[in-house]
Amino acid sequence: MGKPRIHVGLEIGTTKTVMVVAEVKPDGSVKILGLGETSSAGVRKGEIVDYPQIRACVKAALLKAEDLSDVDISSVFLSVTGPHIEGLNNRGTYRLPEGELEIRPRHVEEVKEIASDIAIPSEHVYLHSLIRHYAVDGQPHATMPTGLMGRKLDAEFHIVHGVRTRVQNSIKCAREIPLDVDDVVFAPIASAQVVLERKWKEAGALVLDIGGGTTDYVLYVDGAILASGCIPVGGDHVTNDIHLVTHLPLSKAEQVKKTEGCASGDPEKSDGIVTVPDEGGFPDVELKRQILNDVIRMRFQETLELVKERLPQDGLVRVGKGVFLTGGSSQMAGLGELAQDVFGLPVYKPESPDVSGVHAYIKDPQYSTALGLIRYAQILEEERPNSTAFSRASGFFRSLWPFGG
Amino acid sequence: MIPYERTRQQTIPNSAVKIIGVGGAGANMLDRIALDGMEGAELLACNTDVRTLTSSVAPEKIQLGRNLTRGLGSGGDPSLGNQAAEEAELEIRDALRDRKIIFICVGLGGGTGSGAAPLIAQLARDEGAFTVVFATTPFNFEGARRREQAENALAELSTLANALITFDNTRMGELVLAKQGVHEAFSAADRMVSESIRAVTRIVMRPGLVNIGLDDLMAALSSPKSRCLFGSGIAHGENRAQQALKNALVSPLLDRGSLLNDTDTVLVHVCGGEDMTLYELELLMRGLSKHVPETAQILFGTSVDPAMAESLSVTLVSSLPEDRLRADFSKSVSTKKAETFNDNDTGESESSEEALPEDEGSLAETTDPVSNEEIAADNDSSAESGQDSSLVKQEVEQEEDEIIVEASEDEAQFEVVEEESQPGAGSNIRIKVKELPQSQEQDQESLKIVPDEEPAPISDEDLASAFVEAVPSLEETGQSLDLEGEDAFFAETGPTGGPAPIKVESLEEIQASAQAKRPQGELALDGGPKGKFEGEDPNLIEGEDLDIPPFLRKKK
Repeated sequence: MGKPRIHVGLEIGTTKTVMVVAEVKPDGSVKILGLGETSSAGVRKGEIVDYPQIRACVKAALLKAEDLSDVDISSVFLSVTGPHIEGLNNRGTYRLPEGELEIRPRHVEEVKEIASDIAIPSEHVYLHSLIRHYAVDGQPHATMPTGLMGRKLDAEFHIVHGVRTRVQNSIKCAREIPLDVDDVVFAPIASAQVVLERKWKEAGALVLDIGGGTTDYVLYVDGAILASGCIPVGGDHVTNDIHLVTHLPLSKAEQVKKTEGCASGDPEKSDGIVTVPDEGGFPDVELKRQILNDVIRMRFQETLELVKERLPQDGLVRVGKGVFLTGGSSQMAGLGELAQDVFGLPVYKPESPDVSGVHAYIKDPQYSTALGLIRYAQILEEERPNSTAFSRASGFFRSLWPFGG
Repeated sequence: MIPYERTRQQTIPNSAVKIIGVGGAGANMLDRIALDGMEGAELLACNTDVRTLTSSVAPEKIQLGRNLTRGLGSGGDPSLGNQAAEEAELEIRDALRDRKIIFICVGLGGGTGSGAAPLIAQLARDEGAFTVVFATTPFNFEGARRREQAENALAELSTLANALITFDNTRMGELVLAKQGVHEAFSAADRMVSESIRAVTRIVMRPGLVNIGLDDLMAALSSPKSRCLFGSGIAHGENRAQQALKNALVSPLLDRGSLLNDTDTVLVHVCGGEDMTLYELELLMRGLSKHVPETAQILFGTSVDPAMAESLSVTLVSSLPEDRLRADFSKSVSTKKAETFNDNDTGESESSEEALPEDEGSLAETTDPVSNEEIAADNDSSAESGQDSSLVKQEVEQEEDEIIVEASEDEAQFEVVEEESQPGAGSNIRIKVKELPQSQEQDQESLKIVPDEEPAPISDEDLASAFVEAVPSLEETGQSLDLEGEDAFFAETGPTGGPAPIKVESLEEIQASAQAKRPQGELALDGGPKGKFEGEDPNLIEGEDLDIPPFLRKKK
C-alpha cells in the first residue's frame, strides 16, 4: 500500500447498470471519482437474459464512468446476484497432529480447507468462503487462533455458491468489454459493507437489499455472516402486480407505485382515489388507493416473510441492531413500517440523499451495491497481505478470505 | 299509513316546487342541492342557529325562534325546536303558500330538525302542498337519546307527510365510507339526499311518453318506516343502456342492486334523446330484471328529451321496509359466508366456475319472460306515444280513475292494475302507462321505470363519486354482496361507453375478472396472469409462483 489505489465497482442490476470509480487513499478514506449509470435492458431478476443488450449497457456505463472520473478503467469488481446463489454454513474440525500443541498458520489453512470442503452441486461454483469463527478445543475465538495452544481446531465458514454458468455470464459480459474482473462478489455482501458499520455487524444486523428484480439479504451475527441469499422478487414485481391487478400500463404502474403507493398498511394512507392523468387526452384512470396499497403491501409482505423463513431459526433473536433496508425499492413509502411488522425489529432506512453532486450517491440506497464493491475492494486490500497465497487463486474462484470479521 | 287524499295538485305537472332545509343537517343538504344546481325549485332554509343560517347558500331563509333562542341553536331539545318553529309560523306559511310540492330535508335527532320539521310538514299540508320529507336518522355513535328523538320525530312525520323517505346515516356510513371521517360520511348522506330530490322532481315534473306521476312514486315509496332505495345513472355512447343502468345500480343506497332483490315495487324511469331506441329499453329492462325479483311490480316510465342528445339516463326508486332490510342484511351476510367456505373447500378456480354457470342459468331463466313482456309493453307504449292524442286520453282516463278511487280506493286499485296488465302478463312485471291510484300502504310495493329527461344535472363527477363510494362498501363491509348477480352484471356490461373514467373495481371483481380471463383449457395450477414475466419459467418457491401477484394468489 502507500499509494492511492483506484477501484471500480460494476453492478449489472435488473433496473440499472452502475459503474463506480473511487480512489482509496492510503489513510483509508474513499473518494468517489465518478459514477456511470445506464438503465439496464436484458436483465431479469438479477440475471442476464439478453446478452447483446446488456453488453451495450455496460459499455455505456463504462464510458460515462470514464468520462466523469477521467480514469482509464481496466478492471472491475463485479457484483452478481440471482436466485441460484445460496449461502450455507459449514464447520470444519482439525485435530492437531500428535506432539504439536501450538496452532500454526498451516493448521489454520488445513481447517479452512476442511471447512470449505462441502458438497455443493457439481455445476455450482464457490463465490465466497467466509470465515465466521474459529474454535480451539471448543472455545470460540473470533480472530486468528495462531499461536494459541490447543488440540482441536474448529472453523465455521459461511459459503456462498452459485451456478457456474450463470455466474460466468456476468463475468463474460465484463470481459468482453473488455474489462478484467478482479473479483466477483455476491451483491448483498457488497451492500452490507456500506450499510453496516463494524459495530453493527458485531451487534447483529439484517441487511435487505431490495432491488428491481431481486431481494437480497445478508444476516450478520457476532460480526460474521450467518446467512445470505436471494429471493427473485423485487420492485419490478410490484409494478407488474399493479399492472395486472389494475390493468394500468406498466409505465403508469411504475409511476403510480413510486408517487402514490404505500406499503405501510395504514388505513389512513389507503383512503381515497389515485387519479392517473393521461397525456394522450384519453380519460384519466382512477384507482382506489386501498387496492393499490394492498397490492403493494401483499407483495412486499410475502417477500419479507420469505426472507424471514429462510433465516436460521435463532438468527433474528441474535440480531441486536436491527433491519437495514437498502436498494432502490427500499425507497417505497411505508416499507419501513411493514418490515417492522414482519421482523419485529427496529428498521433503519437509508436517508434520501441530502447533498447533490457526486456525494449524493453515497447515501442513495440505489447505489449501495456499487459503492459496497468499493468498500469490499478496500477491505480486501487491507486483508491481502495476510492471505496472499489464497486470494486470486483463479479467475473467480476466490477461496479463503476471512471476510466479514 | 300515510294518509293520502287525491287532490288536483298531484296531476299538475308544473307545480311550483319548494325545498326546505330544516335545522343544521337540513341546511347542509340544501346547500348541497343548491351547489349541485336545481332548476325550477325554490330553496328555503329554516334554522334556529343564525350562524349556520347565514352561511347557508339558500336564497330564502327563515330564522326560527327569533325571540326564543335568540339566534342560538335549540340545544338538541326538540320541544324547543318546535316552539321556535311555532314562533315563525306565519313566516313559514307565507313561504309555503301556493306551492304544489314541498320537499322537506331534515336531519333528525337534534333539536331544530326533530322539533320543527313536523310542524313545517303540518303547515305544508295545510297549505295544500304535496309534502315529501327526506329525513336522515342519526349515526349510532350519536347515542341513544338522539336516536330516540329521531324516532319520535319520524313517527310524527310519517303521519303528516305524504311521503317520507328516510336515510339511515349509520347504514349510509356502513355502505359508503366505513373508514372515512365523520365529516365525509355526513356529506355523503347530503349528496344522496340531494340526488334523490332531484330525481324525484325530475320524474314528477317532466311529462313522458310513458308518464309517471306522483302516484307511481308514492307506490314505490309506499310503506312507512322504509328505506328509500334510489339510484340514478347517466351514460352515452355505445352500450349506453347498460352503462346507465350500471351507474344507477352503483348507488350506495342500492347496495349495487342487491337490495332490490327483495323489493315488491320498483319505479324505473328512462330518459333519452330522440335517438333512444326500443331495443335499448329492452336491453335495459332485461338488465334490471336480474336485480329485481320476478314477482316485483315494475312501474315503468320513459320520456324523450332532446336536451339529452345522445345520453340516456336511468332512475330507480324503490323502498324496502326497515325490518326486511335488517333481515336481509344478516341473511346476505350469512350466505356470503357460506359461499366463502365453499370457495375455500373447492379452490379458487372451481368456485369461480361454479358461479358462472349459475349466472348463465339465471340469465336464461330471466331473459325469456322479461323480454316477451317488455316487447309487449314497449309495443304498447310506443303505440300510445304514436298517437298525439293519447296523452289527452290518458288524462281523461285518469280522471275516471280518480272518481273510482274516491268511491273505493282499494278496489279501484286492483281494478286498475288488472286493466293495465299487459296481454302476456302472467307475470307481475307491468309497465304502467296510466297513473295508478295512489295506494296508501300497498303491501306490494310497485316497481316503476321512469324514463326521465335529465338535462344532465347528474354530472359524471357525481356518478364517479357515487361509484367510488360504492366500492368500499363492498370491500369493507364485505356483506350483502351478491356475487352471482355481480358477475353476471359485469359480464353483461361490456365495453364502457362514454367518457366516464375507467375505474378499478373492487377486489372481488378483479379476482373474478382475472380468473375469467384465463382461457378455459389451461391448467388451473398454472396460476394466473404474469404480465411482463409471461412465458418465463415459473418462479416457484414453496409451491407459489412468485411472478403472480400475491394480491391475486392470496384471497383475503
